[in-house]
Amino acid sequence: MEKTILRGRAWVFGDDVDTDLIYHNKYLAETDPKKMPQYSFEYYPGKEHFAKEVKPGDFVVAGTNFGCGSSREHAVYCLKYAGIPVVLAENYSRIYYRNAINNGYPVLFIKGISQAIKDKKIEDGDELEVDLAKGEVKNVTKGTSFHGDAVADLEKDIMAAGGLIEYLKSRAGR
Amino acid sequence: MGKTMIHKIIERSAGREVKVGDRVWCKIDLSTARDFGGANCVLQFLDVTDRKGKVWDPSKIAFTFDLQAPAHSEKVAVNQKIIRDFAKDQGIEKVFDINWGIGQHVLLEHGHVKPGDVILGTDSHMNLLGAVGAFATGVGNTDIVASWFEGTNWFRVPETMKVTVTGRFAKGVCMRDLLTKIVGDLGADGMFFKAVEFGGETIEAASLADRITLCSMVTEMSGKVGLIMPNGEVLNWLVERAGEEVRDRVKALAADADAVYSDDLHFDVNRLEPMTSCPDAPDNVKRVRDVAGTAVDQVHIGSCSNGRFEDIEAAYKVLEAGRFKVSPKVRTIITPSTREVMRKCAAAGYIEKFLDAGIVFTNPTCSLCTAEHYGVLPSGDVGVSTTNRNFIGKVGKGSHTYLMSPMSAMATAVRGVITDPRDILG
Amino acid sequence: MGKTFAEKALGRAAGHEVKAGEIVTVEPDFCMSHDNSAPIARTFRKIGVKNVWKPERIVFILDHAVPAPSDDHAVNHKETRQFVAEQGITHFYDVSSKGGVCHQVMCEEGFALPGLIMIGSDSHTCTYGAFGAFSTGIGRSEMAAAWATGQIWFKVPESLKVTVKGSFRPGVAAKDLILTLIGDIKADGADYMSVEFHGPAIEAMSIAERMTLCNMGIEMGAKNAVCPPDAKVLAAIRDKARTDRWEALWADDDAVYAKELTYDLDNLVPCVAKPHTVDNYAAIDAVKGTPIHQAFLGSCTNARIEDLRAAAAILKGKEVAVRTIVIPASWKIYRQCMAEGLIETFLDAGCVIANPGCGPCMGNHEGILAPGEACISTANRNFKGRMGNKESFIYLASPLTVAASALKGEIADPREVL
Repeated sequence: MEKTILRGRAWVFGDDVDTDLIYHNKYLAETDPKKMPQYSFEYYPGKEHFAKEVKPGDFVVAGTNFGCGSSREHAVYCLKYAGIPVVLAENYSRIYYRNAINNGYPVLFIKGISQAIKDKKIEDGDELEVDLAKGEVKNVTKGTSFHGDAVADLEKDIMAAGGLIEYLKSRAGR
Repeated sequence: MGKTMIHKIIERSAGREVKVGDRVWCKIDLSTARDFGGANCVLQFLDVTDRKGKVWDPSKIAFTFDLQAPAHSEKVAVNQKIIRDFAKDQGIEKVFDINWGIGQHVLLEHGHVKPGDVILGTDSHMNLLGAVGAFATGVGNTDIVASWFEGTNWFRVPETMKVTVTGRFAKGVCMRDLLTKIVGDLGADGMFFKAVEFGGETIEAASLADRITLCSMVTEMSGKVGLIMPNGEVLNWLVERAGEEVRDRVKALAADADAVYSDDLHFDVNRLEPMTSCPDAPDNVKRVRDVAGTAVDQVHIGSCSNGRFEDIEAAYKVLEAGRFKVSPKVRTIITPSTREVMRKCAAAGYIEKFLDAGIVFTNPTCSLCTAEHYGVLPSGDVGVSTTNRNFIGKVGKGSHTYLMSPMSAMATAVRGVITDPRDILG
Repeated sequence: MGKTFAEKALGRAAGHEVKAGEIVTVEPDFCMSHDNSAPIARTFRKIGVKNVWKPERIVFILDHAVPAPSDDHAVNHKETRQFVAEQGITHFYDVSSKGGVCHQVMCEEGFALPGLIMIGSDSHTCTYGAFGAFSTGIGRSEMAAAWATGQIWFKVPESLKVTVKGSFRPGVAAKDLILTLIGDIKADGADYMSVEFHGPAIEAMSIAERMTLCNMGIEMGAKNAVCPPDAKVLAAIRDKARTDRWEALWADDDAVYAKELTYDLDNLVPCVAKPHTVDNYAAIDAVKGTPIHQAFLGSCTNARIEDLRAAAAILKGKEVAVRTIVIPASWKIYRQCMAEGLIETFLDAGCVIANPGCGPCMGNHEGILAPGEACISTANRNFKGRMGNKESFIYLASPLTVAASALKGEIADPREVL
């Protein structure tokens, strides 16, 4: 990983953020991943403006079970191609997790972030510093910090290859 | 030490011994995509193979059309064509076009699903095929494309949660109510990454439709798959469709008596009441009678969770008890899950009675559930539905939905306000 | 000098004798609108009149996309419901099994009656001429004005007399007659005119067949199209007429016509309208074998029980080769199909039987085409992009030809499968 320390603003979401909130049903017919960011979080109460205002480098911060619901990979693409470098959540729903890994899209498992969100220890617009390699998340605005685990096992290898397709291609080449 | 069903299924597919937590490469028995996600798979496959790729085994790939069947938007029409053209090019014959119905159900009816099969699909409710002991799971397009290369994909061997169900449902209460209760008790992440085995006398006596209902909602608790080994009539039905091999699979893959489970839960349904998932989350659960009297604008019966013949028949019985009249204040829509189900409803004379009551009976499809077809709710409307999700705005911006059983849904249609079906069934 | 039907109907409504070319202002007997009721209501509100002139003369029938397939459709329907409640409009066909395609519902629910002046915010409103009504499609602004004032002006049209004799040969249907006629006189051949169908063959036709003819009057530019209100019509409206304002009117034998044509059904062959105009006539022999991707049996033109029976007779016990969408024109017809076992026949043949409504006809529901795809359809328009995509192709034909083609996967001559 070329650049492991990232700085950006936080967009903060709660627990059980479902795929319809991340990327609604009604745009499922889209097949071009690069056109998907315009619909991100359109249905999330209070975050309807996300797609318009998000800047590349911003972070998505969420509680438990992020991405529960549908199998739509759109929900990963719409963040990846919006330039969100990593999702910082307590944990991820299983299909969302696979879809992220399969696209080489980094997700960190941040212990205690769900409660921290509820306690307002991390809020929209906070300046964060994220060390991807060490899994450290500093909330510069509030002076707090969190630790996150990156993926391990096979998922780590898939991530390192850049995604599942790249992983399979490199494995076939060996 | 004994093994659970998912443990045995993965070992069979991987061809080696495994333990919980292992990442293993499994052979895929069926890799399916719908008119949602299917075009994304095809385009990605063509892209990553420089348009020269051949799928590993055309007989193990299936396409189903249920998101918008028939298409109501140009984009979906194009996506469907992309799939048809690809299937033709690749020699894929299992294409179930717009006349067939909801994918998992159609595949099941056609005998393409056996216990122990490892099945992928672009549908998060793919895992309802666990109702016949298959390890089916919803995945994104990349997972599907990857499986088309060599017919394999990776899985983490999950822990297994055991859920034992005893007792008999009282009149007006059914499997959907149990499930709603389970979702309420365990929460949206109550089965996080786990496989679930459903057992006990209530499950052993349950119809295939009820088993499908139960397994379809494992997704709403973030579970991997809910498994029930076919027995009795369900086994006979499956053998008829998928062949004698089913019996051997059932023997080989049943859980060992000393299998180890991460959780052991028990539910008794004797005193269960009709339950509902209130807006705007499946785990926001109350008794139907706690919200009785709430005015609703639309009632929808159908979906992969509750669109089988038995579900529609249960609703029919409530309509019958309500003297075949629904409230004119409510728009009532019934969508059968498949052509076979619709055919059965026609033969039973139910469709005529529904129509006479003012109910819209649609062709088999995902219908309302995708918010792309029949019955999108306008802002401010309240809906009742037998589908599986009621997330914020899921079936229409600014609308709110109560999820419940076909009986409760029809009772609500009859009275025009949320109604406990026991009030009508007596 | 005798009078045409249009002169009689408009004269009756105006309360004085009129002749072609005059401008008259009349009160409409019924105003029909469909999913465009909500936008019309918005225009109505801008006029500044609080209430519609006569709520009992307004009929709303949701059919273009029901049940709603999108947020926009859902909100539009809700606005319609709110307007209905606010204005006390009694004739409202919401999402339920009581409705269907608006024109079919108008006819089977007893609104279409001889001699009435009927306007609709849909170009195929001319269908009600099958019941001897003077009916015509108008735009949304004009409809809003009609709700507000209870008045609409017309130029009394000149008339085209089409006399039809002989009888249909097997495999030939009313749709073939109207497509042949439009092919002959072209899309503007009856511009602004009132088209009158006369002759023994018309008298022999069912009301369903007459509806197919009148429905497509607009496709040759006509203001309205009409058949004689004979005993068949009177029998059909008995017990269900929504008003007693009706009167059986018909042209005098010595009426003066701008143009007269005669057709002999004995000489007619199955035909299609090729892409992308309705007047692009081709006899079946010229297009037989053209590959298709979809067949559509539906619409206000050709989805009545008689049409579906004819198609089912061809499909029974066989399987379609392309995706085939069957949409009965109303729930009454759907119900009749159930009773006669046609729904089972269609299901077993592999068709989709969708809920009654306009379906894919105007490209916003159930059966949109992709680029490069061809559809054979019983509907009334094959304009470029009509069914959803500019690069797709629509062939119009009779239910018999559509059913035969569905079986073969290419345009086929129904006479060969009968």
